[in-house]
Amino acid sequence: MTVTESPSLLVAGIGEMVLSTDARAHLVAYGLGSCIALAVWDPKAKVGGLAHFMLPSGPHSSGSPVKFIDTGLDVYLKALEAKGAVLNRCVIKAAGAAAMLTVGGGLAIGKRNSESLATALAERGLSMAATALGGSAGRTVQLEVGDGRFLIKSLSSVTEL
Amino acid sequence: MTLTLSEAGQRVVAGTFGSAMKRAGEALGSMSGQVIDVQTPMLQRCTASDVLTMAGGPESIVLAVYVGIMGSLQGHALLLFSPADAHRLAQILLAGLLGPGELPMEATADPLAYDELELSALQEAGNVTISAFLNELGMHLHEPVQPTPPQVVIEMAGAVLDAVLLDLVTEADQVLAAKTTFSEGGRAIDGTLFVLPRADSLRVLLDALGAIGL
Repeated sequence: MTVTESPSLLVAGIGEMVLSTDARAHLVAYGLGSCIALAVWDPKAKVGGLAHFMLPSGPHSSGSPVKFIDTGLDVYLKALEAKGAVLNRCVIKAAGAAAMLTVGGGLAIGKRNSESLATALAERGLSMAATALGGSAGRTVQLEVGDGRFLIKSLSSVTEL
Repeated sequence: MTLTLSEAGQRVVAGTFGSAMKRAGEALGSMSGQVIDVQTPMLQRCTASDVLTMAGGPESIVLAVYVGIMGSLQGHALLLFSPADAHRLAQILLAGLLGPGELPMEATADPLAYDELELSALQEAGNVTISAFLNELGMHLHEPVQPTPPQVVIEMAGAVLDAVLLDLVTEADQVLAAKTTFSEGGRAIDGTLFVLPRADSLRVLLDALGAIGL
């Protein structure tokens, strides 16, 4: 029996980011509802990052560097550049921003997250190659640093974006 | 609002939430005809990530009944079951309603498939349980606490909880989470009740309890 080395799994918890230059690394964000995961992959430098944003705007939070899109996006992009990524050749994909709960009215944060991310990226001259945003299903996402594969798992399916 | 509740204030809130959660467990027990043990409720300040861990991890699949809390005290309440326990609870509730031999559903291979009757029964169980909690809480307040209509969601726990958490952490890194576990001796229907109050609305409870200044 051959024992294969399992790829290193790096988890971006809520409000956290993970980055890697290890081609075997899988970057994962579990159970996204209204939160939004932003995957950035540089195909040449083989650098990958996954940020698990919570809200559109707010003060910088030291415990959760990417809690807010407006203050966290630059922290994330700078960290990617420090790992050797060149942003204008990166493949950028996003998933999440669903609306799980329809009662109570005031919980439409997913839509605001989605709009805020698109605006913030555009302001920095960046755009997304693919997105899986909105809807009412939860998502777990995985970026494979070696080849840039970005997988989205819901309760009913696994798809590659 | 940031959390301004003192340790003493938090103890007062924990006592009141604890007795209300016990009442909620009794309501679930009486609806299902089962003896339900209510684990000592806990109330703690924690991060969003801690709440997801308390719910079994963000990717664990749950059937959740969500009720928003409106009025003088605001927040969110969720009753969570594992998919298998939710099926068993639905069977027990429907057997009580329909009588033996009239169960409409057959055992299904897919634990995530529920028929409308099951979902309706579970929604009502969540509604009754959370309403019992809110009624008990309302006894201590001079103003009404109103639940939103219940909503049933079958999803990853992280996906269900994150919208609720995002509503609470805009200006604070920590939330106040109350949690208890209901268990039935035969392990038929273990459930977890979470109540996540808006910290800035707890003043109303402290005032009503005569704990002003805590």
